[in-house]
Formats: sequence, structure tokens, C-alpha cells
Amino acid sequence: MNFDLDENQELFKAAVERFCQGQDVAARRAARALPGGIDRARWQELAELGLIGLAAGEDDGGMGGSHGDLAVVAQALGHAQAVEPWLECGFLPARLLAGSAHLESVISGEKIAAFAFAEPGRRFVLEASGVKAKGGKLSGTKQFVLGGGAADLFVVTAEEDGKTVLHVVDAKAPEVEVRPYPVADGGVAAIVTFHNAAAEGPLAAALPAAIDEARLMAAAEMVGLAQRLFADTLEYIKTREQFGQPIGRFQVLQHRMVDAYARVESVQSAVLRALLQPGAPMAAIKAHVAENAIWVAHQAVQLHGGMGMSDELGVGHGLKRIVLLSKLFGDPASDILDYARAA
Amino acid sequence: MDMDFSPEDLAFQKEVRAFLDDKLNARLREGAANTPSVFTEPDITREWQAILAEKGWLATSWPVEDGGPGWTPTQKYIFEKECAIAGAPSLPILGLRLVGPVICRFGTPEQKARFLPRIISGEDYWCQGYSEPGAGSDLAAVKTRAERVGDKYIVNGSKIWTTHAHHANWIFALVRTDPSVQKQRGISFLLIPMEQPGVSVSPIVTMANDHEVNATFFDNAETPADNLIGEEGQGWTIAKFLLENERGGSCAAPALLAKLDRIERWAREEASGTNGSMIHDPNISQRLARLRLEAQAFEVTELRILAELAKGRPAGPQTSLVKLTSSNLRQQIDELAVDLFGYDGLQLPVTRPLYGNEAPEFVGSRAAQLSMPAYLNGRAYTIFGGSDEVQKTIIAKQVLGL
Repeated sequence: MNFDLDENQELFKAAVERFCQGQDVAARRAARALPGGIDRARWQELAELGLIGLAAGEDDGGMGGSHGDLAVVAQALGHAQAVEPWLECGFLPARLLAGSAHLESVISGEKIAAFAFAEPGRRFVLEASGVKAKGGKLSGTKQFVLGGGAADLFVVTAEEDGKTVLHVVDAKAPEVEVRPYPVADGGVAAIVTFHNAAAEGPLAAALPAAIDEARLMAAAEMVGLAQRLFADTLEYIKTREQFGQPIGRFQVLQHRMVDAYARVESVQSAVLRALLQPGAPMAAIKAHVAENAIWVAHQAVQLHGGMGMSDELGVGHGLKRIVLLSKLFGDPASDILDYARAA
Repeated sequence: MDMDFSPEDLAFQKEVRAFLDDKLNARLREGAANTPSVFTEPDITREWQAILAEKGWLATSWPVEDGGPGWTPTQKYIFEKECAIAGAPSLPILGLRLVGPVICRFGTPEQKARFLPRIISGEDYWCQGYSEPGAGSDLAAVKTRAERVGDKYIVNGSKIWTTHAHHANWIFALVRTDPSVQKQRGISFLLIPMEQPGVSVSPIVTMANDHEVNATFFDNAETPADNLIGEEGQGWTIAKFLLENERGGSCAAPALLAKLDRIERWAREEASGTNGSMIHDPNISQRLARLRLEAQAFEVTELRILAELAKGRPAGPQTSLVKLTSSNLRQQIDELAVDLFGYDGLQLPVTRPLYGNEAPEFVGSRAAQLSMPAYLNGRAYTIFGGSDEVQKTIIAKQVLGL
């Protein structure tokens, strides 16, 4: 038994840390303010570090990273509170475009791809029905397309002959209407409507497997975020003085932080279980991680007091990213209910 | 024992309902419903304030001789409850509910004559200078210095979390007038005009993208010495009076129950994607039921305090329980609203207001668009006005005797 990172994983982690060095609140805000909410030069840099290619198979010109390698990257990005939507626009397209001619430009960072899966009025249902594919054309509307404001390509779930399949659509085509809107983590999502738009597909990738992998990556990113918020809060209560002493001297806050510590350890273990135990229930594990990470984030805001409410601090940014990830491909309540019913 | 209103109270309730029905126009209702921040913006509240002032129903917590309507605690409760059910805007409480009662209680006849009518007319808009960067939960650590020079005070220092300071022309502040004595005893309660070169305001944007609070700086700001409320060194006593008012002076349960009713309506309209509407979702419906039971019990707790007040007994430290319960309930209710809307609950508009012609487009519904900023702003309920931790310490010491 061994839970240490291997040599390569240490290198991936270090690469993410270097990439995120100096990315403070001001830098992150500047990136978010760019059109589409993504800094394309930074995105290119992320790609050149191999961090998108890591998610693609070696046969496809990628690096064929293991789930463990990829989870290390996701967790490190969470810990650094990176604004780059690696999970949404890097990992997911790299998985979904397996075997597609479009993969190369996504791995190189030349093109940004966004995954269009959510439909109005359909909550977390993954089977497509609002967007239909027929004769190589797509029609219908998607929403909550993360990174949709910056995307060059859309990977779209569509109903074709009663099945849910994946197609690729050029985001700049005149038959594609993109309406960007801001979301909780500071990113830009979009409502995307296809008016009989030319599509390539169906793609070969297995959708349910890719979604489960994305749930694992979301869980890993939340672990990194929770660890970061925990560490920042621990530091804060050691230095913030009220009533003539650091507030960390008050027993009520000490015990609260011990509870937070226990939850941070629990979510790390949960993600390791997801990685190491074949057939582990990804959605349920993600739900466990999400509920605990949200609790830790709420305490991080509370213990920072008024400062925790301010947009000038990373604490709120961490909470908002966790809340968004907690609902990606299902929220904790629905995932736990599914898990209970399946048991 | 009974929980019934008297025939007079029922007649009053009818009168209030008819009044609200008549006076709450669509703009006011929309502005009130679509404000995710803790306080409604002045463009909405000023209009509502003028309507209430004309009726004489504005300064409900003031004595009759100072401009209050002379209501019993029960009448006050009925009014608050009907306003919550009708979806009336909140009021600029910093003047009406915080400094107003302080001036009524501790002000000189001259101060009352000068300030109270202008609070009612809306001519003065107040903000509160309590917290400082180094004095949050430990409010008695305030450092902002006010020095008596001739017939005025010279003020230096800074205040933080000053709600609506960017709208205000007056600030009431806790200032240190005597640094040589024990910290609570050196504090005074001072009124300072905002429109002068020595006062500057810088915005603090919250994680919800709202600009509601500020940092306020005093650099040799001046205020006439007769703007001191009470005596020098009496500030801490006045601050405690004000905070107890802030914590327990209003009726919170009716608004919480009204919000739960709205969430139930939204749940009936929100598609589950699989099985009809979200009202059948076991998680949403159970949380709705639990929160309703807790809010209904909380309403009776408030009524019990009200009954004590109606008998002329003081409210005292159990107001901390009201603050503690209502803030936690609010947060859970706001979380429920976000969770109800699925992906639509994750949109977070970057501009304000969310009512009127300038409101940004929403995805799904306006209620869905409001849910995330309301939830994020609501994290402050357990921080401001004395944090949860401070309230629990007060209850442990003063109620439980620990």
C-alpha cells in the first residue's frame, strides 16, 4: 500500500504550481474581464505544459495520463484557485474528442472547445432531447455551456435516432447563436442555439464514462479548493486579533477548525478511494466531497468575518467555484438519492 | 393562553391590508422582490418611505411625541407581517430603526427637533460607523479618534462595512474621545456630516457582485460639539441599546415564511426534467417542509417576546436568540432557492439593479437569477450585527449563566 504521488505526478503538480504562481485576485479578475472570460495566452501556456494533452490518449497525440495523474492536476489547480477552466474546456473536450481530427488543435491550445450538454427545463438530465441531429445538422438550444463565450468549437450532445450522441460544431458558424452570461465562479457560460448548423459526428467517445471521469476531476478540484480555504483560514485566525488575542485562541473556533480539518481529510480520502477502487460510485463520491467542501467554504467565509464577504479576497472565489462544481452533472442531493436507490 | 389577535387588532390588520393593497405599486413590488442584497436601494425605499410618512406609519418604533404612530407591540408585529406577505420594500433602517430610536431615547430636545423630522422626510440618509478594520466582533476596540477642539470635534480614523455610506449624508459613529480610560468607557456616540472634505468613502464589492458596503475614512473631519449624543464616554451604553434594537427590534419570521411560500410557488413551476415539477423532488420538498416547521416555531418565539413587551417587560438578551435563529434560517432558505433552480441557480449577474429597464437578461427566470446573489449576500447574516459566535457567547453568559 502506498498513497504517495509518483515522480511524474510530482512533476505535474509542480508544473501547475509554477503556472499559477503570482495569480492573485487582481490577476484572476483581469483574466475574467477578457472577452469570453478566458485569457488565451495563459490557455496556450497551459496547453504547452502538456496539461490538456495529458487527458488525451497517446494514439491521439496526447500523453495518456492516468486518472491519478489527471486528478493530481485537478487538485493542484483547485489549490491554486486557477481561473483557467481546465476541467470544462481542457479535460472534457480532450476525452470527448478522442479519435476526432479536432483533438490536435484543442491539445495544442490553438482552439478552445466547450461542452454543450445542459438543456432548458431539463435540470441534470444528460439524455439529449432539446437538440436534435439529422443529416449532419443540429437544431435546438443548450444552456450552461461553460466557457461558451470564448469557445471556437462546441462538443454537443444531441438526440439522433432516439439515442444521445456527440457532435462537433464550429462555434463561429452563422447558424450558431451564442448568448454569453456570467456564472457564479466568475466565468462566462452561454446559451447556444443551433439553427440547422453543420455538425460532425457522431463522435466515438463513450459519454457516460467521460461524465464519470469529469465528476472525479470536479471532486479532485474541490479537494484542492477546500484544502486551500482551510489553510488560508487557519493562517487568518492565527493572525487576526480581537479581544486582545488571536481569534484562533478561542476554543469555539479551534473546535470548528478541527471539524473542518476532519472534513478536508475525508474528502481527500474519498477521492483517493475513487481513484484506487475499481467501480467506485463517482457521482456519489463527488456528492460527498461537494457537501463537505461547501461546509468548509462556509466556515472559511464565516471565520474571515466581513473580509470573507469581500470580492477582494480569494475566500469567496473559492466558495463560488466549489458551489458551481458541486452541481456539475448533478447536485449532491440528486446524486446521493441515485446512490441510495441503486444500493 | 391563546395566540389570537383582539377584535381591535383584527380591525387594524384589515386596515393595513387595504392600505398595502392600495399603495404598493408594481414598481415598488418589483424593486423589493428583485433586490438580492440585504438592503433595498434608495431609489425604491425613498418612494415607499414617502408613502408611509404621509400616512404616519413610518417611524413605528419611535414614541408618539417624536413622530411614532403610537402602536402597541402587537400592532407593530401585524404591520411587519402584512408588509412581508405583501412584498413591501424594506426601509432605510439605519435612520429609522437604528439612530432614530437612539436620538429619541438619548437626544436633547434640540437634537430631536433637528434630526428626527429629517429622518422621517428622507432628507437625511444615515449610515452606521461601528466596525473598524481592527474592531469587528470586538467592537469596544474602536480607535477612530474624536478630539474636542473648542465647539467642535475633529475626527480621524476609519470605519468599515459602512452600509450605503455612498448614499448617506450623515454617519453615526462610535468614536474614542478618551484614550486614557478602560476601553468601553472612552467611547462616545457622535453624529458626523458626510459631505465635507475630511470624509471619503471607498466601495467594497462583495462576492455577490453587489456594492452595498464601504470603507469610510475620516481625515480631520469636523462635526459641531452639539452632535454628540448623550455624554462623552456614554457611547458603549448607547451602542448596546442600538444593537439590541437591531437584533430583536423587528419581526423576522413573517418575511421568512413569505419567502418559503415564494419558493414553494417557484418549485411548482420549476421543471425537474424527469418527473413533473420540482415540488415532487424529495430533497426540495423535505427541506421546504423542515424550514417551514422551524420558521413557524420561530414565529411563536417572536410572539412570546412580543407578549412580554406588550406587558411592559423588557426584551433583554433573548433578542440574541432571535438574531441567531433568523440568520441561520435565512441562510438555509437562500441555499434552498439556489438548489431549486439547478444550473439556472448558478448564474451570477455582474450588474445591478435586477429590476426595471436596466436589469440584465436572465436565464430561466428572474427568481433563478436572484437566487445566487441572495445566497452569497446572505452569508453575511451570521457575521454582521454581532456574529453567530458573539450571539452565542451573549446567550451562554447572560441567559444560561455560564
